[in-house]
Amino acid sequence: MPLKQETKPKLLWLQGVTCNGNTHSFLNLSSIEILLEQFELLYLPAFATQYSYEEILTCKLSCDVLIFEGTYDPLLERGGVLVDKLLQHYAKDAKYIIAAGTCASFGGMFEEVHPERNSGLLFKKAKSVTHFEKYKGKIINLSGCPIHPEWMGYTLEMILQNKEILLDELHRPKELYGYLSHHGCTRNEYFEWKVDAKNFGTKEGCLFYEQGCRAPMTHASCNKILWNEVSSKTRIGTPCFGCTESDFPRKNLFTTKTNMSIPQDIPVGVPKRSYLTMAGIAKTFHIKRLEDKLIDYKTTH
Amino acid sequence: MARITKEERKQGIITAALQLFSERGFYITTIPDIAQKVGMSVGNFYNYFNSKDVLAKELIIYISEYLGQSIREINEEDISTEQKIHKIVSMYFAMAQEKPEMIEYFLRVYLSNREVFSDGCEGMICVSPFVTEMMIFFNDGVEKNELHNQDFFSAFGLFMGYLGGMVFLFGEKILPEPLDSYKDSISQNIYNALKTRD
Amino acid sequence: MITKQLIEHIEGEASVYFDMDGDKVDFATVVFPHFRGMESILEQKGALDALVLTPRVCGICGHAHLMATVRALEDAYKQAGYEVRLSQKAQIIREFTLVMEMIQNHFKWLYMVIMPELSKLLHTPLANKPLKGAYASSLASKAIALFGGQWPHSSYMVVGGITCDPTHMEILQAKNYLRELIKFFENESLGISLKEFLALKSCKDFQSIDSDISSIEKGLIEANMHQKGFAHDQFLVLGKHQCTHVGKLKHTRIFTVDPKFVSTTDSYAPHEKTYAYNALYKDDYYETGSLARMISTNFPIIKNMHRRYKDSAYSRVMARLFETGVLLQHALELLENIDVTQSSTVEVVNVQNISAKGIGVVEAPRGPLIHEVILKDGIIQNYKIITPTQFNIGSSIPEHPTPVQKAMQHNTKEEAEFIFRTFDVCSVCTTH
Repeated sequence: MPLKQETKPKLLWLQGVTCNGNTHSFLNLSSIEILLEQFELLYLPAFATQYSYEEILTCKLSCDVLIFEGTYDPLLERGGVLVDKLLQHYAKDAKYIIAAGTCASFGGMFEEVHPERNSGLLFKKAKSVTHFEKYKGKIINLSGCPIHPEWMGYTLEMILQNKEILLDELHRPKELYGYLSHHGCTRNEYFEWKVDAKNFGTKEGCLFYEQGCRAPMTHASCNKILWNEVSSKTRIGTPCFGCTESDFPRKNLFTTKTNMSIPQDIPVGVPKRSYLTMAGIAKTFHIKRLEDKLIDYKTTH
Repeated sequence: MARITKEERKQGIITAALQLFSERGFYITTIPDIAQKVGMSVGNFYNYFNSKDVLAKELIIYISEYLGQSIREINEEDISTEQKIHKIVSMYFAMAQEKPEMIEYFLRVYLSNREVFSDGCEGMICVSPFVTEMMIFFNDGVEKNELHNQDFFSAFGLFMGYLGGMVFLFGEKILPEPLDSYKDSISQNIYNALKTRD
Repeated sequence: MITKQLIEHIEGEASVYFDMDGDKVDFATVVFPHFRGMESILEQKGALDALVLTPRVCGICGHAHLMATVRALEDAYKQAGYEVRLSQKAQIIREFTLVMEMIQNHFKWLYMVIMPELSKLLHTPLANKPLKGAYASSLASKAIALFGGQWPHSSYMVVGGITCDPTHMEILQAKNYLRELIKFFENESLGISLKEFLALKSCKDFQSIDSDISSIEKGLIEANMHQKGFAHDQFLVLGKHQCTHVGKLKHTRIFTVDPKFVSTTDSYAPHEKTYAYNALYKDDYYETGSLARMISTNFPIIKNMHRRYKDSAYSRVMARLFETGVLLQHALELLENIDVTQSSTVEVVNVQNISAKGIGVVEAPRGPLIHEVILKDGIIQNYKIITPTQFNIGSSIPEHPTPVQKAMQHNTKEEAEFIFRTFDVCSVCTTH
């Protein structure tokens, strides 16, 4: 008498126009083995699972969770089959569709390759597109270039536990994207007191004013759940490039756009007057501790 | 008889102080002088302002807020930057003529007696409401592509230094023509200096 | 008879068309059917934007692209008369993260490609645990993230140096992750200590050990891969790093090289449109990657192996496994030499002053990666990328086969597919 098998949800990972960064980021998830054991893996780009790609292309199977990575190009073929055809087939029966990465969410990097037809599943930059509108209710956007592995881990676990995932107006999970990547940056004190980094490669200084840091305008939890469990861009001194937002990639990265020395973009939701008033006052004061080097390697007391 | 509110009394002190400082000079004017002009006891005066220094700082904040609010109203109008410049110049000149004690206080007391303001009014914090509005003005002008992008202080110095200088000359009675007759040419000069280049 | 084989589980997509003569491959051509247009995306963008955009060519070797970009920009600065002198600290940290990314690639290839493919070829189940590769990679990624902020896609290298300014704390943490990775390699893959592994004189010496790598070695012999998969027995190493020796090797003779002799030609793919170009050095095909690097640095056991088994598929695979160990050791040494008191980034003039052409060459996991940029007032006029897969896995006519084409010839289709994998194709890089 065979043992009663628990049916595991079926997981399928398809790709559009992509660099594979989201796949490789996901592979860094420390709980990946335990997580994947709870799914029936139909196909993953990284290593062989139950079916070959050719079997997937026949569109005879169905899945419960469909993950799509990469920009959506309606004319793209993989293995001689239109990716659009694959998506339309697998999206039908899937209970959840996860757009993995900014390309699949908003068009991202490769929208520019064919701007007349490329987009994300639901959005082309910030505007809605209709290709998969009928599946809107089951699409979750995990934007990011690449996604943080924990965001995928979170989404899949929530699905396994049948918990509702609250989404923002861009279909991103609120518990992940409600934070700004600014929250938790170790340079926050420099932001408070407007001590700007004068160059790259210093422990000190805020990267907002001159180095183009987008963290106060970017929805992400990078400085809350650290990257690779150890760090983040802004902590080590690289400005945030706003990769979870619909306008990624922007132009003239590494520099802050100013109008008469006033930053064009300021923290989300903060009125310009309020920001300028606070900034003006903070800039007036020169706090010696903050203007000195954090660690003086020359002397020991 | 309607009771005079505390706020109105405070306003009365401010107006009286500005007038006296303008007529007699900052250092010569005393607290008793101001209290007498307002019609209150010196003891009561100290309920409103702890000292002459505190009064001095509050006055500059008051003037900044007044100027800031006037510029804000102009900023929020749906007109071109060129027109806004004209309105700001007009407003500033009107103030110089109708409330000379305010601009005079700014030029002759605040700018000229930094030691009075060094503790508690460091840098630009007491003029912040006014400076912030000018920042908004410049920011909007560049964003709308009507002003060319440059360093804030270069632009601010040009605008405000120019106006302050004209008002100073006016105060010294050096200008041969009425102040208002200079509005158009001054606005034009400012606009020409700051506008976008082709 | 022509059969088409879609190659899966590679970065991107590729197909091999086998022209069979009986049950042996007479000739094979390779097709890369996609095109993303990174080079045209880069046109008219600011030079510094390339530091964020080019890593998105590839999710597994984005760091190599980052370094190639920054080297190309720094070369442009030099050509414009503003030579950039990096601090020792910046150079070491850059090399450290590049090496860790290489190690990552090697581990993933070992557990996600070679073991399963060898298993398939031999019809015996080798210990198939692809997630071992993922785990090892995640440790390497942590070490990278301590300096780069994150992996993948860090963009922490800028003109003049690096954005990070680490303390000894980050270096010690990196060292610990590295040590953990070495222990993992020793326990899970090698079965002996790293030191012993690198000191081996001959592979016979570890055949008695029961480990993943030893079973791969035995499996390769069993599949006769020491007598198959020969390319042209000439190699190319172009990326200059502490751990590489730049040069061109014909058999064992080494010659000096200059990246200016690298050229590209259209691929020959009669059955389907391909978007890849073949890369040549002085109009000839050279193999790149681990085997090339290990031979050029005269690593003893690989030299011996090459003497016996030439550039067989066996040598190719074993070289990459040994290189993993060499790089782990090298990474430890690099960490020892970081002087935290040095500056991370030197001041450079604004890139708007730069109108010049620059070339950046790095050794990516699969071989030389070349970025060429032309700047005018700091704006990119033209950007050209040549990837290692273009050297190894080009597609040419039978009279002048590329390394992979030569290696696949005269084998069964199954053997040829395995041999194809020993070159480790990165399709997204090639069809940037």
